[in-house]
Amino acid sequence: MTLAAEHAYLNTRVSVMATRLLEPTAIGPLSRLPLSDLAERFRLSAILDEQHSARARSRAVEQSLIQVLLAELLILVRPMHTAERRLVLDWGGKYALFNLKTLIRGKLHNLDQKEIRDNLFELPEQMRLSEQVSADLFRAENVLELLRQLEAGAHRTIARQAREIYEQQREPFELEAAIDQRYYAGLIRQAMAFTDHHLDPLKRLIGAELDRINLLWLLRFRFSYMLSPSETFYHLVPSMRLLTRDRLLQLVNLESFQGVIDALPPPLDQLLADSRNIVDVQKRIGRYAAGEAYRVLHRTQSAVARALAYLILRERDLLFLFALAQGQILNLPAAAIEIAVELAEPGCHWAGTQAA
Amino acid sequence: MKHVRLLVLTEDLPQASLALADMESFHPDTRPPAESRLDGLPAREYREVFTQASARLEKIAKLIPNEETPYIEEVRVVDFAELQGLNDWLGKVWNETSSYEEDLRRLEDEERLVKEQQAALANFADLNIDLGMLHSKMRFLDFYVGLVPRENLRQLQGAVGLADHILHVYMQEGENAHVVIVGPTGSKEAQLSAVLDAAGFQNLPIPQGLDRNPAELGRDLDAQRLAIAAQRKTLQETLKRWSEPFEGPLLEARRTLMLAEPLVGLDPSIRSAGYLAYLAGWVPARSVERLGARLRESLNHPFQMTVRNPAAEERALVPTVPAESWVLTPFAMLVRQYGVPEYGEVDPTPLFAVTFILMFGSMFGDIGQGAVIALAAWLLRRKLGRFWPFGLMAGLSSMVFGVLFGSLFGVEHLLPALWMSPLSDPLLMMRIALGWGVVFLTLACLLGIYNRLVIRNWSGAVFGHHGIINLIFYLALITGGFNIANAGAFGAVPAGLVIATLAALAWHSWRRQQAPAGEKVLVVVIETLETLIGYVSNTLSFLRVAAFSLNHVALSIAIFTLADMMGAFGHVVTVILGNLFVIVLEGGIVMIQVMRLQYFEGFSRYFSGNGHEFAPLRYRRG
Repeated sequence: MTLAAEHAYLNTRVSVMATRLLEPTAIGPLSRLPLSDLAERFRLSAILDEQHSARARSRAVEQSLIQVLLAELLILVRPMHTAERRLVLDWGGKYALFNLKTLIRGKLHNLDQKEIRDNLFELPEQMRLSEQVSADLFRAENVLELLRQLEAGAHRTIARQAREIYEQQREPFELEAAIDQRYYAGLIRQAMAFTDHHLDPLKRLIGAELDRINLLWLLRFRFSYMLSPSETFYHLVPSMRLLTRDRLLQLVNLESFQGVIDALPPPLDQLLADSRNIVDVQKRIGRYAAGEAYRVLHRTQSAVARALAYLILRERDLLFLFALAQGQILNLPAAAIEIAVELAEPGCHWAGTQAA
Repeated sequence: MKHVRLLVLTEDLPQASLALADMESFHPDTRPPAESRLDGLPAREYREVFTQASARLEKIAKLIPNEETPYIEEVRVVDFAELQGLNDWLGKVWNETSSYEEDLRRLEDEERLVKEQQAALANFADLNIDLGMLHSKMRFLDFYVGLVPRENLRQLQGAVGLADHILHVYMQEGENAHVVIVGPTGSKEAQLSAVLDAAGFQNLPIPQGLDRNPAELGRDLDAQRLAIAAQRKTLQETLKRWSEPFEGPLLEARRTLMLAEPLVGLDPSIRSAGYLAYLAGWVPARSVERLGARLRESLNHPFQMTVRNPAAEERALVPTVPAESWVLTPFAMLVRQYGVPEYGEVDPTPLFAVTFILMFGSMFGDIGQGAVIALAAWLLRRKLGRFWPFGLMAGLSSMVFGVLFGSLFGVEHLLPALWMSPLSDPLLMMRIALGWGVVFLTLACLLGIYNRLVIRNWSGAVFGHHGIINLIFYLALITGGFNIANAGAFGAVPAGLVIATLAALAWHSWRRQQAPAGEKVLVVVIETLETLIGYVSNTLSFLRVAAFSLNHVALSIAIFTLADMMGAFGHVVTVILGNLFVIVLEGGIVMIQVMRLQYFEGFSRYFSGNGHEFAPLRYRRG
């Protein structure tokens, strides 16, 4: 069977869905649309429900957009083989991990169950933490009990170390960092398990995403949280493309933001030259990762990599939409919304100058 | 089934829920009422508190076991204040109980660490260095000995390198790696400590006197494990003593929660406006009067109960009461694998049971093998639960056909056949199977037509799949086929009927399509062809009934041919093993084939399976 024939349906699906992606030039006109038009165009009726608070409306919009993304994900995984489906479902599994983090934070801050529940995403069955796990976690009455519950499940290793740290420090950073780290390490492991024509495009796609994540985490941990080079390195997930293990070992040892930017490998050195702060870096490397995803979507033969690339780009679009809707719901100034959707350069007021 | 709408005072809700649960005839309808003012959710808070209290009780029960469904001596109302009070009390008990749980877990962790030390000691035994020196920090050397999860190892190796230390793995066991980290003392120690925390590094205390005889050290560690076991025992005894006064109250708490359950179950269907609460549900017609009487007897205040028949558009919402006969229960379980009958739809269970037993027996007719199946079902009745009558009846049916075929464990000359052996006239067997297929399909079509007529789907009953026109076509086709076999010609009347019915179906298909003419022609041709091929192939599908009865005899012949090639002992062994093989393998295959005929040729014609089961509100009585 030829490559095209193997996943003809999936490739067609991805191509049809790809027409929904926003052109870079479409964001500008969208940002000028009033809330009602935005709601009508993207079927976000929750925006218009004046009876609810701004926070509830914003939450409802986020939930609707995530459901759009996950519904499309489920359509795309249907014709896939087991390993392919596992990879794409695990990519979407980040939303189940968001729920896990929400539960941890909720228990940590002693929020009542209703408030925690209101902040959980409704997820399709295939992507939830198992019913028993989420019920047990939800019933836990404090963080220690929650961590004990986690120890009984798939997250037992991170939960045990997190519990020990929590008992000493009472903060969830290590646990959340470990959850994120394992999520990305799991994605790499699954992508690298492919041996056929899917491998190179998947390496390119996930590698670009990891380069983005690693650089942002590195800059944030080193220069915002002031973590040591060794602790920063420990929390990173070496990529198989640009920011490899050796490169990260070298970068975390540098003592300044500019030093790191200057020492980046090509093409990141050119792309990020003159970046003034982390917000700037985030924007530029976000565009780079999106560009790589576009290339995988339009120029590769691997239907799985194309599907994943589409989902990554679609998620980015939906986040832009969410930023537009939320900005208007919260009555933020147009300038702030434009910065959020990368239409405008951040001025010093919005720039996170401490990081720089 | 009737739709019952109740308006009661909100304060009477707990009492009403108990009365409804006690009657076990009220299936809640969760649709909100038409009146927009009835938008309150009076039982929501009750449910939240109940859920939390139940969760607390379950967690406590893991350490202080108590009966899951104690007997309820007195049925009483559990109001919100009582439930809230119980929840608070359970919260306090759980707080205290959880400290015991933490202590038990701490002991577990300590024991795990001692086990790791024992493993490490066995590993250290081969090292030719004085490990006793590792007890005290040295002036120039900073070192750590401990465990780290294996998956964190590689990243940790890089991280300790950045802090100018080296990491050496000296043992890997289970999920953990035993490591030694060594580096110069200095400013980077603090950095390393944070990394080690993040990596889940567990310090492994070096036992005192490590330079002593390893056997002595081993004894020390064994003693530590014994001490931990003793502490655990003491802790469990303390917990038992401490929990004794709670056992009675916890049992009572369980009863209270069981009594509160009905209102929680009703929560999704309760709405309110101020003091007035609304709830609705489905009640079997025969129980409506008793339900009304029970509510009048139980409620302290007046209430309004409105009863009406289900509306046509509500059909999909009306639950179906399942068959309750012990004979039909196992067949109903198999029917439910396909679906639950919609309200008003003919329950296929009795027909399914009769045809299933008939087909299974005819395909697997043998007195001895049938007796084995029936006996096995009887002996395993406890394990099989409500399914055992199925095995018994299948076995008995097999025995009855065994008498007709004269087959006993595959031997056909010991008993005279009441009718004949299938292999003596295979063509007759085929004709009977085809005849059975025609009867079965006709019956299935008639049921399908009836089910549509009941819901006034006239067009579906006449023109739909397996409707009246289809049935006339099928019977005409069969008559024509019969005429060809007997007289050599199809016959004018059957031919006319076949053409007329196909034309009617084509006309109907043409009318309901909204597409260009070319596409319409294509669809009409394909649908007509599909109708023709479908009925012919479905009828031929029943040839398998005869094929398996022949196959059964043929397999027996094969077994006896093999047995005859052996000595006396080998003969007996081959016959026994051969019969077992036939019972397990052929019995299983016949079962699957009968299910296939039932589901595919039968249910797909007349059974939608779109209904849902009647699940009345009830409480656990203990």
